[in-house]
Amino acid sequence: MFWRFVLSAVKFRRRRLLLAFSGLAVAATLATTLLSVYSDIDRKMRHEFRGYGANLIVAPGLNSHSVPLAAVDEAERLGAVAAPFLYVVERVAQERLVVAGVDFRRAAPLTSYWHVDGARTAGPGECLAGSALAAHFRVGIGQTVPLASGPCIVRGIVSTGGPEDDRLMVPFERAAADAGFQDAASLIEVRADGPGKIAGQSRVQEVRAALAAAVPGVDVSVLYAVAETEANVVLKVKSAVFFLALAIFGITTLCVTGNFSALVIERSKEIGLLKAIGAAESKIASLFLSESLVLALASALTGYVLGLAIAYGIGRKIFSDAAVGVDFGVFMPVITVTLLVAIIATLLASSRIWRIEPAMILRGE
Amino acid sequence: MFLRFVGQSIRRAPRRKAMAIGAVALGSAVATVMLGAMLEVGDRVNRELRSLGANLLVTPKSTSLPVVIGGIHYQPAAKDQFIPAASVPKVKSIFWSLNITALAPALNAQTAINGRDVPVEGVWFRRDLRAPDGTDIQTGLRTLNSTWKVAGRWIDDRTPDDRSDECMLGAALARRLGLEAGSTLNLFGETFTIAGILSTGGEEEDRAYVRLEVLERLTGRAGQVDAIEVGALTKPEDAFARKDPAKMKPAEYERWYCTPYISSIAHQIEQVLPMAVARPIRRVADNEGQVLNKIRGLMLLIALAALATAALTVWSVMATTVLERRYEIAIMQATGAGRAMIATLLGAEVAIQGALGGLIGALVGAQLSGAVSQSVFGVHGDAPALLVPVVVLLATAVALAGAAQPLRSALALEPAVILREGV
Repeated sequence: MFWRFVLSAVKFRRRRLLLAFSGLAVAATLATTLLSVYSDIDRKMRHEFRGYGANLIVAPGLNSHSVPLAAVDEAERLGAVAAPFLYVVERVAQERLVVAGVDFRRAAPLTSYWHVDGARTAGPGECLAGSALAAHFRVGIGQTVPLASGPCIVRGIVSTGGPEDDRLMVPFERAAADAGFQDAASLIEVRADGPGKIAGQSRVQEVRAALAAAVPGVDVSVLYAVAETEANVVLKVKSAVFFLALAIFGITTLCVTGNFSALVIERSKEIGLLKAIGAAESKIASLFLSESLVLALASALTGYVLGLAIAYGIGRKIFSDAAVGVDFGVFMPVITVTLLVAIIATLLASSRIWRIEPAMILRGE
Repeated sequence: MFLRFVGQSIRRAPRRKAMAIGAVALGSAVATVMLGAMLEVGDRVNRELRSLGANLLVTPKSTSLPVVIGGIHYQPAAKDQFIPAASVPKVKSIFWSLNITALAPALNAQTAINGRDVPVEGVWFRRDLRAPDGTDIQTGLRTLNSTWKVAGRWIDDRTPDDRSDECMLGAALARRLGLEAGSTLNLFGETFTIAGILSTGGEEEDRAYVRLEVLERLTGRAGQVDAIEVGALTKPEDAFARKDPAKMKPAEYERWYCTPYISSIAHQIEQVLPMAVARPIRRVADNEGQVLNKIRGLMLLIALAALATAALTVWSVMATTVLERRYEIAIMQATGAGRAMIATLLGAEVAIQGALGGLIGALVGAQLSGAVSQSVFGVHGDAPALLVPVVVLLATAVALAGAAQPLRSALALEPAVILREGV
């Protein structure tokens, strides 16, 4: 009897049910999308901040002019990106200039903000020229800079607005050989991403502490400007998304309530009949509730699939390729939210059941 | 007659009307909060990103190449290359001067401490400045770099004083020299007291800082600065921003000039300071734009979703109210009322409910949006005044649209059918 009521409802009120179903499906889709975006926003936003380059600097400690290269291995062992840099003053004819030794392969993820004309890396006998330096010595790509320690062919012109513009970038090994450095660098840039292993601590701080402990005689400092701005912005965007999600859930519940109210109104006659033959109001309400729960389960599944697709689309469209990814783990929360919305909406809508007078309804008033 | 009918309808069933109005109000409130608070997330984040430090560097036009590592000059700079200190405030006189949030001039020098060269910078820490556009601002190193930490205190240099004996040291330099806040230090043969130790994480930690006018006196370079760091709020660069302004048509040039791209702000600074070049600091400027674009896109998508749901809600609530009154409609039809008459009557009622709900919702939402931006960004933002009438109009339109379909189907049915069926 119970199920017959529910099933016949589906059969006879297809259109109205479709409306209620789509209301709930919208709720489930939004829940999936928002939860999926929300759970991953930390990673996605931090990924965007990669462009800022290093957030840790390993510099020579007291009474020292260099940093041991062991710090690079140590940082990489800790899962961070690290690259050594070496600066020496060189000569072209009688003029001095700064030559930077760069480990181009390691430095690539830390120097993505460089605007480069030509190649981003230089091999043995090659170099990259800063834009101001290239203009000063009037060299272009493919031309040779007559460095005192041996000429190099310019493979690319670098422009950053920073000190790199005035420098010549050569492979690290060459600069180290020229400067007489062995297994050492002027400084090491490190980038550590993401939340820390211990709750409430950032990965940057953990890597900083680990590096300082593992490599004696160096100064490891956090670039506050990058690290803090990043943390602030991520936090704010996260809480903004949270508020939005809250508002959307409230409004969806209201929307579904409207749908279910219409459902109850349309079936007033049936309800009047049930009441007339002695059904308790709570019994009728539970019929409606089970009907809406079935609907909610179906729409949660539909919404889950749709929502994941949309979240994927957002990831693709807005965030960079590497950050694409959806969180399949939001299924349980989505089911819960959808059921909750359905229950609240049905309870609000079924208050009408108590107000229906069987005699009036059946007489047709 | 018409007015009495509408008035009576509202008076007779106040509870039902109140619920419909409440639902519309809720929908409009959400819409207002969305539009008011969330669409300005971009601007707020833009200001937040300014804590990354300067995104423009203004330096004198130079014929020689600076040979600098970590603030130490390995080749003396030409004496005739400088920016006059008197022209520094001109940066605040450009077309987009309101977008310049901070500027910090600096004079570079170096002196030997314990046999090792140490870079010394003469700067403004936080100087009172009457800008050429008539506004009073406080600007300098401290306003530009809000994330820098200081042990001790910042130097208070609101007014110039070239006899001040205060300085600040970078943390790395202080560690090397074994000094802390309160110690004294000899720079250029004069004794300075350390007001505070600066931690930045960058190469600034290897420097000593004194007031700009003090270093001008010590180095004999009165009225000269070597660089101006500028922090500007900018619009993320797009393909148009990267075009060469020299090759633009006049109309294009005007549009480019009147858009706060980093390149157009740099161009305007070069116009007021002809002796200087302004270069965007790519590391900050480019990424700022990128992060901002992502956040704007994300917020816009979510806000659109919220608006769509709000509209759907108002729609379905209004559809329900008309559905409830099919019986009434049938009686009116049966007693001879024309379809147009009924549609106008119900339409007026729905419009009144929509407008009233919209008004309440927009007003409440405007308050709420202030509270939301307070709790997210710590700044009390006011929703734009235009928002309220826009939301009221939207709510009314959506309410009418929602009522239209069930009204039409009710009018299309024979009154006898509806009356026999019951409500």
